[in-house]
Amino acid sequence: MELDIDAHSGHISQQFNEELEGIKSHLMAMGGVVEKQLADALTALNDGDTDLAERARRSDEQINRWEISIEEQCTRILARRQPAASDLRLIVSISRAVNDLERIGDEAARIAAHAITLAEEGEAPRGYPETRHIGTLVREMVSNALNAFARYDTDLAYRVAKADEQIDAEYKTAMRTLVTYMMEDPRSISRILNVIWVLRSLERIGDHARNIAQHLIYMVKGINVSHSSLQQIEKTLQI
Amino acid sequence: MDLATSMNTASMKTTSMNTTSVNTKANARGVSLNALPAESRTLNLEDETLTLAVKELNLFYGDKQALHGINMRIPKNRVTAFIGPSGCGKSTLLRCFNRMNDLVDQCHIDGQILLEDNNIYERAVDVADLRRRVGMVFQKPNPFPKSIYENVAYGLRIQGIKKKRVLDETVEWALRSAALWDEVKDRLHESALGMSGGQQQRLVIARTVAVQPEVLLLDEPASALDPISTLKIEELIHELKKNFTIVIVTHNMQQAARVSDYTAFMYMGELIEFGATDTLFTTPKKKQTEDYITGRYG
Amino acid sequence: MKHASNPSSFRRWFKSGAPWVWLTAGAVAINVLMVAGLLILIAVRGLGHFWPSDVLQADYRDNTGNHLVIAGEVVEREQVPAEQLRNAGIDIAAGLESAERLLLKVGNRDVSGADFRWALTDSLTQIEYPAQLFVSERREWGNFYGYLLQINEQGKTVMQVPRSEVGNDALSAPLWEAFQRRIARARAIHDKINQIEKHEIGAINYRLERLRLQERSLELKGALDSASQAEIDAERAGYDQAYSELQARLTSLYAQFDRDSVVAETADGRRLEMSISKVVHAYQPNRMGVIEKTGFYFAKLWEFLSDEPREANTEGGVFPAIFGTVMMVLLMAIMVTPFGVVAAIYLREYAHQGLMTRLIRIAVNNLAGVPSIVYGVFGLGFFIYFLGGHIDELFFPAALPAPTFGTPGLLWASLTLALLTVPVVIVATEEGLARIPRAVREGSLALGATKAETLWKVVLPMASPAMMTGVILAVARAAGEVAPLMLVGVVKLAPSLPLDANYPFIHLDQKFMHLGFHIYDVGFQSPNVEAARPLVYATALLLVAVIAMLNLSAVAIRNRLREKYKALEH
Repeated sequence: MELDIDAHSGHISQQFNEELEGIKSHLMAMGGVVEKQLADALTALNDGDTDLAERARRSDEQINRWEISIEEQCTRILARRQPAASDLRLIVSISRAVNDLERIGDEAARIAAHAITLAEEGEAPRGYPETRHIGTLVREMVSNALNAFARYDTDLAYRVAKADEQIDAEYKTAMRTLVTYMMEDPRSISRILNVIWVLRSLERIGDHARNIAQHLIYMVKGINVSHSSLQQIEKTLQI
Repeated sequence: MDLATSMNTASMKTTSMNTTSVNTKANARGVSLNALPAESRTLNLEDETLTLAVKELNLFYGDKQALHGINMRIPKNRVTAFIGPSGCGKSTLLRCFNRMNDLVDQCHIDGQILLEDNNIYERAVDVADLRRRVGMVFQKPNPFPKSIYENVAYGLRIQGIKKKRVLDETVEWALRSAALWDEVKDRLHESALGMSGGQQQRLVIARTVAVQPEVLLLDEPASALDPISTLKIEELIHELKKNFTIVIVTHNMQQAARVSDYTAFMYMGELIEFGATDTLFTTPKKKQTEDYITGRYG
Repeated sequence: MKHASNPSSFRRWFKSGAPWVWLTAGAVAINVLMVAGLLILIAVRGLGHFWPSDVLQADYRDNTGNHLVIAGEVVEREQVPAEQLRNAGIDIAAGLESAERLLLKVGNRDVSGADFRWALTDSLTQIEYPAQLFVSERREWGNFYGYLLQINEQGKTVMQVPRSEVGNDALSAPLWEAFQRRIARARAIHDKINQIEKHEIGAINYRLERLRLQERSLELKGALDSASQAEIDAERAGYDQAYSELQARLTSLYAQFDRDSVVAETADGRRLEMSISKVVHAYQPNRMGVIEKTGFYFAKLWEFLSDEPREANTEGGVFPAIFGTVMMVLLMAIMVTPFGVVAAIYLREYAHQGLMTRLIRIAVNNLAGVPSIVYGVFGLGFFIYFLGGHIDELFFPAALPAPTFGTPGLLWASLTLALLTVPVVIVATEEGLARIPRAVREGSLALGATKAETLWKVVLPMASPAMMTGVILAVARAAGEVAPLMLVGVVKLAPSLPLDANYPFIHLDQKFMHLGFHIYDVGFQSPNVEAARPLVYATALLLVAVIAMLNLSAVAIRNRLREKYKALEH
């Protein structure tokens, strides 16, 4: 059965409604922090803004605190409410999504760290257009994944999963290009390696965003699509 | 596609896994290396042997219809739980299985209930004999005001068994089955009314088990007990399903989730949803089920 | 301000619920007081009767100024308004508001005609308590009060003391002792006579009667041939032989019994010779100490409980009445319990619960409210005349026209009371059956027991305390019932107990005595109401005690059952 946006607010226990609502909004808040961090890290990278990068790097601590807090809330609800069905899936999905968000935060922090290194070395390396392009795509994915979660929008989630395939493809292309650069100009190797690390982080962020989308699909549909292909997911969604 | 098939094959093996899981557990780390442990697989009703089948059952109290066209199949050696709000007809349905509803005035039934392929509502059926085959345990512990021994031996004596040796052996076996033997073996001839509520309920289970029925019906067996006694009863149910087909009615959804293999959700005299407990409690198919098990406005 | 606060504080007190506590507690207190008062009244009045009080002797001046020496026990004292006495023509000193009046039990009914005499305290002078004054309880004419003068044996004087020497203990003590010895001897003979008359001759009479009935029934059947006639005649001759032997023994015993007599003088100087065979006890109360009196008291009490009544029930004991009451109640319980229980089981367990059962229940409940005398009439009309008459025709034609069961008797009395109390048993049992948790029945049914097996093995044992409650209530009601019994079997004086050594041992057709009826008879039908009044109280106390005993034993049984089957009320 399909879940709608109000699915978790109809409990006889008003307190339970509030708890679920609270944990969802906390997840969204944490998602907002992660999105901002990612955006800051990417902007810092493009503009060579070390201050901004430093700030992005440090917001990782805040994200870790969010993660612990939300995990605790999940545990508490499990222990006290013994949720079943969609409530149970909501808690499990949030618990997993928080994990993925935290990883996204880690990767964003890593990107910020590389941005600092690159900025300190001066001179913008080649390959920025790729990072910019993939970065934009990834930011959109993360944003979409969170929006999908906020709206229980499985179609959007499916688009996120689909975008991940696109990112993977773009990542491969960018890698080939960057390897070519490195072969052309060995002096730039160390800097391009930094760019590669950034790209790799972005690719991972894409994977995590896809995971979040998949958790949402599990939550809404009750079917685990963790290791399913896009076609399988599409089929699942049509049920 | 292959997701579904893999789940199917997994559950196909479930029955055989039950017996082999003991062997695989002999592995040093207690984990089977070549296959997932049986407990982790989803059960599938299609693969079960059936004990009871309900066909188009309607039940009326006078003019009031209490059960509407129930169709259901109860698998052998499994625990099937009936859940649903008060007055949904789950106890009524349970009491159809041993024709307890015959005692109610103006109770009228049409449809069939097949026990091992024989309709128990056939005219020729001996109700007392049916009740020996389909035992029942009630909400409140209801030991007879007799000794512990006599309580357990009651059903046997009714059957006309008089040999002391047979009685002694069966009483001990039944009390052991109900995990009560060690607690009461030194006071078998004291009144059963001196026992605690939990012990009384296990005594009632022993009493029912003593006549070796095929099916055990449990009507909210733990609702009058404290949590620890409840857990003991639940553990007992888990043990008993090796030998008996168990049907349990419970108000406590967590209890249904804990003890049962299959769960039926009933609402307003209708069977809304019936399926493997794992599925029903994580991904119910019907909104009513979802609303009930998550505690929402009906 | 003060006015405003007062009603509000009263209201607060009223609202606090305290008045209800007081009201309810007050009701209980009044109940307790009434019950205690009742018991104390009958206990004091009844038990005091057996105490040997001192006998007073005094010079009495009657209305006309004649002087007379009287002796007697003070039974009652009362204040009488002087006006009333003056109106009665009694001379009372002017200015007195009231005078004290004594009721003296003076006995000697054979000499002076009345047992009791009222005397104003003022008219008694020279009051003394002479030690030699003795009281003798006799088998006829009530008590005798006077002085012992001589003992005669077969008309010849064997011992004597002149009147002037009565006060001399050295002379009168041996005489008194000889008197006591002879009383004891006479009582021993009396017991023997009683044994022969009541039991041995009674048994022979009973057998002769059975023989006659046997002969008559053979005759009715036309099977009386010469052989059986000869057999019967031989047997009868044997009994006649035994009877005449007993008769001879009796004659000789009576001769010995009447051997002794005593001559005694009343306080006012009249002499009287009385046979010692007529004396039950003789005692000198003024000489007795408290311990002796206590011993005497308990002996009298025991006599009251264990002896048969004498002198139109106004003297002696009430044993046959106790026995009759208990036996009738037990028989009633034996009859009513199965009947009521079975009826209740049908009503509660098997009958379809509809309009019909409701009507039956209402009828049963109303049956409990029918006046008991109506049951008596019914018992007389239906049980005795109809049932009993037919039983006689069918089974005892030999005795006709004398009825066997066609006349009031123990069986019919018990049956009538059983009918009277059956609603109580039905209601109580139904209540008990209804209170058995459905779960327990279902538990039994679910084990494959049939309804009947469930009923026998589980339900009835658990309902047994309720049944006992019903029986208790029935017993309590039946034991106190008198009115219907007067119609269906109770008599003033039964010749023998309904349980004896003669086959078939329990004689359900016999009439019997009953404590309740005994009270009525002694209190209202006695020739000597004044003398019998204490006995009314004593018998009433006894009736209460017997009912309490019956009830307490039933309660004890019920409590044991209740403990055993204490319902699952947790």
